[in-house]
Amino acid sequence: MANNKKTLISLIVVLVFGVLLFYIGTDGFRAYTAETARVIQLLEDKPKFPEVMLEDSNEEKYPISEFKGSYVFITFMYTACGTICPILEMNMGQVYRQIPEEYVGEDITFLSISFDPERDDPETLKEYMELFYADGETWRMARVNDDGELQHLLDEIGVIVIPDGEGDFAHNSAFYLVDRDGYLMDVMDFTDVDAAAERVISILEGDKGD
Amino acid sequence: MTQFIWGFLLLVFLALPPVANLLESIMIVHMHMQMPLLVIAGFLMARLVQLKFPRFFENWNGNGVPGILLFVIIMGYWTLPRAMDEALTVPAIEIFKYISLPFLAGIPLRDSWGKLNNLWKNSVIGFFTVLFFAMGWLYIASPEQLCTNYLIVEQITLGWGFVTMALCMVIYLAYTYFVDPADYE
Repeated sequence: MANNKKTLISLIVVLVFGVLLFYIGTDGFRAYTAETARVIQLLEDKPKFPEVMLEDSNEEKYPISEFKGSYVFITFMYTACGTICPILEMNMGQVYRQIPEEYVGEDITFLSISFDPERDDPETLKEYMELFYADGETWRMARVNDDGELQHLLDEIGVIVIPDGEGDFAHNSAFYLVDRDGYLMDVMDFTDVDAAAERVISILEGDKGD
Repeated sequence: MTQFIWGFLLLVFLALPPVANLLESIMIVHMHMQMPLLVIAGFLMARLVQLKFPRFFENWNGNGVPGILLFVIIMGYWTLPRAMDEALTVPAIEIFKYISLPFLAGIPLRDSWGKLNNLWKNSVIGFFTVLFFAMGWLYIASPEQLCTNYLIVEQITLGWGFVTMALCMVIYLAYTYFVDPADYE
């Protein structure tokens, strides 16, 4: 009988341990993949967007801090990508078109950053831009030429890019929103265009009210 | 004693950085070879632990249920995509893998399995069958890359690995259901 009691106690201890393990291991049952965990972490940290030198499709070079004072809506991609990037950029285009004209270019700039600077020269970026009707001014596509800067940026924002050995990359995708002071403000699901557009519009309208 | 030494050597071998790196570089090997081998290492070491602390296991794992539950919890945790990723990127989680699988899964499994009746045993196998079908389906059908450290093609391979294991367990369960060993004695 005493043994039954002890077995019951150890059963409870094991159960509590199990719940704790899963609770801690998934950030309170929220993050079952490293990707969701990464987004939760980013939203808690809200890091400053690292300073990088961009070269855009118009061959113009400027630091990312040039956008200070306006929001920047960012995606990471490479033009040779045949899988996720076209969808990512297409969805970005849909968000772009949902934003009221008065804000575009003034209060918010769209920016697609390529992590494949070798192939994505300004000319290639320009061709790619035309596919998505990006104008190169309010929606720009740019590469980061400096390898060190690029890696630092990807690490800081948690973009994981793995070359697959055949010229392609596996990478995680999301919409990133950087605020007027250059801090990461939100990371949004790139498959949910309407939610992302709504979020951006409400932020822009909120600023207007102030 | 020899079993303990073999189990211990297996654990040390698996923990050698080149061996660990090699096994972890392929997703399906990471989950379906390295992790089970760690459990086996614990399973082999269990005998000596049981002999050294017979009272402990008798007292606290009398009917085998707490032990098998611990085994199920640990195995369940390591099927999470996130756990696999973090084993690669967070050193503490990697250490936890090398401790939890042999000592919190392998040892309790050995101590519990003999104590459980057939209903319990088959229920545990049944649970893993369902879990493996579900995980297999998840890894095969997910359009997203679930583990940021592995390519999507590896994820699909892993999914089929899960399904294969689940099918094997179905065959086993069907076999125990239809075949009565007494007929052959």
